[in-house]
Amino acid sequence: MKHLIIGNGIAGINAARAIREMDTSAAIFMVSDETFPPYSRPMISYVLEGSEPHEKLPLFAGNIYEDLDITPVLGHRVAHLDVKKKFVHLENGTDIDFQKLLIASGADARHIRVPGAELGNIFTMRTQKDVLDHLAAISLGIKNALVLGGGLVGFKAAHALLKRGIKVTMLITSAYPLAMQVDPTAGRMILKELQARGLSVKVGVSVSSFDGETRVKKACLDSGETLDCDLVIVGKGVDPSLGFIAENDIEIDYGILVDPYLCSSVSDIYAAGDAAESMDIARQKRWINAIWPEAAIQGRIAGYNMAGRKVACPGSLGRNVMRIFGLDVMTVGLANPDGADDLEIIQAGGEKAGVYRSLVFCRDILVGAVLVNQIEQGGILRAMIENRIPVRIPKAYLMSLHFDYSKLL
Amino acid sequence: MKQVIVNPEKCVGCMQCMLACAAAHATSESLFAAVHETPKPRPRVHVGAGLFNQGFPNRCRHCDPAPCQLACLAGAIFRDAAAHTVFINPDRCINCASCAMACPYGVLRFHEEAAAPPGKTVAVKCDNCDARVARGQIPACAEVCKTGALVYDEMTHAMNEKTRQVARTMSSDAAAQGLPDTVALYNTLKQATMKAGAAIRR
Ligand SMILES: Cc1cc2nc3c(=O)[nH]c(=O)nc-3n(C[C@H](O)[C@H](O)[C@H](O)COP(=O)(O)OP(=O)(O)OC[C@H]3O[C@@H](n4cnc5c(N)ncnc54)[C@H](O)[C@@H]3O)c2cc1C
Ligand code: SF4
Ligand code: SF4
Repeated sequence: MKHLIIGNGIAGINAARAIREMDTSAAIFMVSDETFPPYSRPMISYVLEGSEPHEKLPLFAGNIYEDLDITPVLGHRVAHLDVKKKFVHLENGTDIDFQKLLIASGADARHIRVPGAELGNIFTMRTQKDVLDHLAAISLGIKNALVLGGGLVGFKAAHALLKRGIKVTMLITSAYPLAMQVDPTAGRMILKELQARGLSVKVGVSVSSFDGETRVKKACLDSGETLDCDLVIVGKGVDPSLGFIAENDIEIDYGILVDPYLCSSVSDIYAAGDAAESMDIARQKRWINAIWPEAAIQGRIAGYNMAGRKVACPGSLGRNVMRIFGLDVMTVGLANPDGADDLEIIQAGGEKAGVYRSLVFCRDILVGAVLVNQIEQGGILRAMIENRIPVRIPKAYLMSLHFDYSKLL
Repeated sequence: MKQVIVNPEKCVGCMQCMLACAAAHATSESLFAAVHETPKPRPRVHVGAGLFNQGFPNRCRHCDPAPCQLACLAGAIFRDAAAHTVFINPDRCINCASCAMACPYGVLRFHEEAAAPPGKTVAVKCDNCDARVARGQIPACAEVCKTGALVYDEMTHAMNEKTRQVARTMSSDAAAQGLPDTVALYNTLKQATMKAGAAIRR
């Protein structure tokens, strides 16, 4: 059997591990444009803030390709996939055929397309190379940083720069950062915490152009205002890296549509991680939950299926946990539902209490949770949301700060 | 292979296991000296009160596959299959709490630790007292528990399966093991909580 995996991120690597676990003789080819050893992508923000060195990014001590007997093909992007003849064509002209393919190509950071966007010191934040570029710029001295976007990556960039003592201005569309992840109460707590550390936030404005000679010096906003900035990090979201797939070859919505076995609409072609769109357990509709634990689990399950062991994936679940200076925030599932007709939301605590809980129920099923501080037991709530176990104990018990596993027994 | 087996129905909530655990993970490995240590040694087993105030010694189940391991952002969590133990490498841990969000039992804590680099907050959980076991001792919690709620014994196949199944119902990777009958387990759990709920309302 010849397996080909596009992408050496956690989804690709875990797939290779699962295939190897099942089949010691199969050929496994892995193509990726990133030549750096497989690494922790989320950790790049820890490198940016300076709490972890760049050398610690690789996930494995030895050579994982040798250990798993993978043939790595690195430094080249897949340019085209031929689903009928079952081969991929690389940018450097080589072709690689396959019997089973996993598309674990992840996602690429969106760039900003305004005049001046090609100036120096305007970066995205997706790869270990990106963070090396940030560090090189910072080593020359940075006074004012500008972060575009208040999503997970924008927030992580701002947080890391603030930790370095750099003044940060953040341009966001909602009233508080992480609006997709948390509810307004938690959002306000996060905003306050960041502001106390020197963050300034501008809501509802965007950059219309950048100014500078070789490096960026100013950002001109659509409000007419100009901002001095010598470093810009663009956190305007990501798009699944699927440019090598011709239209209508594989069913794609936003990501590659997969069935519970992580197989795409084409047999023998699987997808996992940030590139795959699966059923969201809390929303009960298709969604890309572009997070590390999902990519890790999906990669593993896809690998088993590719190796012939039928294993179903229960669906994906959005979740995040963040330590924001003095605040710990955990959010799971439908944390901030809009148009909540048949949903019941129970809240306790808040800014004054310094602890906050919000649980979202669909009848007796827990579908979402936001926790600020005292998050250690959050995994139990995550498991309840994921398994859709009807909650029969009084809902107030789940809100209690003393809630723990024993209450479920 | 002997393991710590939890019999929650026998727990009287005396919390001796917590003290013994904290002392066992202190540099001095003595309760009296441990109280003067920095960082202050803390337990990795947590006795919680159930719905009827009954005790429940909650410790890491060393799940296989371990949800915390799959979720770890830094690759800090690994399994020693021979010891049936899931370990955290404090040098690699970045204190991101992704494991706490993954653990269906809520057994992870975050603090400074004698075995971690000084001043670094890391994820901490039960290590099955690997250092003690290597010296021929048994895990501290089981040694001190006098009621049989925590015993160090051969896991029978049936018990092993029970532990694993409960773990898997709560884990996102449940399906990955081709678990046949998670539904029955959901139902057991559901009934248990239902009964508990009814008792409270009465
Ligand atoms: C700064 C930052 C912080 C984050 N923090 C968190 C967090 O705290 N918690 C969390 O859960 N998640 C976090 N994430 C998200 C998490 O990193 C991703 O969900 C996860 O890494 C996705 O893994 P993957 O294997 O699907 O894809 P990727 O890691 O993106 O790997 C895909 C690989 O495929 C390569 N590739 C793409 N297209 C091609 C092609 N055509 N040919 C060849 N190779 C190709 C890419 O270069 C890449 O190396 C963070 C992400 C970022 C950027
Ligand atoms: S998920 Fe929890 S109980 Fe299971 S191995 Fe990890 S820490 Fe232990
Ligand atoms: S806190 Fe440490 S052990 Fe837990 S997931 Fe993060 S890096 Fe891994």
